[in-house]
Amino acid sequence: MTVTSHLPKYMLFSNCRRISESRFQSPGSQQRFQTASEGFAQAARKCYREVPSEKSESFAAMLRHSPLIQMGPAKDKIAIGQIFHVVEDDLYIDFGGKFHCVCKRPEVDGNKYQRGSRVRLRLLDLELTSRFLGATTDTTLLEADAVLLGLVESKQTKQKG
Amino acid sequence: PPDLEDKLLTEPLRHPDFFNVKELFSLKDLFDARVHLGHKKGCRHQFMEPYIFGCRLDQDIIDLDQTMQHLQLALNFTAHVAYRKGIILFVSRNRQFCHLVESTARECGEYAHTRYWQGGLLTNAHIQFGPGIRLPDLLIFLSSLNNVFEPHVAIRDAAKMNIPTVGVVDTNCNPCLITYPIPGNDDSPTSMELYCKLFKMTIIRAKNKRKQIEVFQDLQSQEKHDTSRPVLAEGQA
Repeated sequence: MTVTSHLPKYMLFSNCRRISESRFQSPGSQQRFQTASEGFAQAARKCYREVPSEKSESFAAMLRHSPLIQMGPAKDKIAIGQIFHVVEDDLYIDFGGKFHCVCKRPEVDGNKYQRGSRVRLRLLDLELTSRFLGATTDTTLLEADAVLLGLVESKQTKQKG
Repeated sequence: PPDLEDKLLTEPLRHPDFFNVKELFSLKDLFDARVHLGHKKGCRHQFMEPYIFGCRLDQDIIDLDQTMQHLQLALNFTAHVAYRKGIILFVSRNRQFCHLVESTARECGEYAHTRYWQGGLLTNAHIQFGPGIRLPDLLIFLSSLNNVFEPHVAIRDAAKMNIPTVGVVDTNCNPCLITYPIPGNDDSPTSMELYCKLFKMTIIRAKNKRKQIEVFQDLQSQEKHDTSRPVLAEGQA
């Protein structure tokens, strides 16, 4: 049994004690010895098989450990986004939420904000919705709201500057 | 021969997952593509409540376990329709992804309609397009709302014309009239790219399978033909 080689020493000792005890008792206890070792083997198998594998993670577990849930309320949280579309002065930035946010190109370093640049944002809301008078459901703008703080300063830019 | 054709059409129906669409996606793929993110609680449609896992800080989260099942059923159905040479029409009125939907349809040899839907396209087809027109055999909605957040007219029209529909329904959509709804996010680019990729792969897979089985049956019937002819002995030739 390869399982026993990984067991800590005190567990091996207690197992041996159980085996030696049962041998001194009546032959009817041979069955009890067998069931005891089987039960122990089963328990050991259960214990050593619980290696966390990526494939068997449940949806609830994945959700719980996801950055969106771990972040909590989106108000005033700092996130890093990537610009995926530019229309003159408007920058469409995707930060990993359901929607993107649209920010105005800042005056400082305006030319550095191109498609693919990574930027720092302060999130305000993940989805801009509001219920107007007389409506049954909220009206959604299909956009998130965030304040652009600046470009992400990578190590390369720091060394150059 | 009618016998072989019969077998060609009935054989895939015996298996629950003949085209093995389950292997095309996994829970992790759906999660990474942000399929589980829904709209805010105030935008929720009453009939989407069974598909919602919960609500976190006012944002609905769609239950991906149910999405997996629905997606597998929907992909299996589209594969069967494509196998039987059905016409598939992709419909989406979301302007952000209309180019993606059109190029997906072009790549798998099917059709797409991502512009304004005229009233009688399906219900008044014989007058608008002429007699003898063939309507699509399946409509796939990659976004079941139109630009004013109302259900797309084609859902109701397809139900009227007995055309089955497959549709991605977000938390603010009405899943009622859609035959194979897929609860999931229809607003993020990653999730739309995932759906387009999955539909394209299933349709191409089903069409290739059909070609493969037809070629195989042709070869089989040719062999039968060859063996039935009398074989000349070497001395006589």
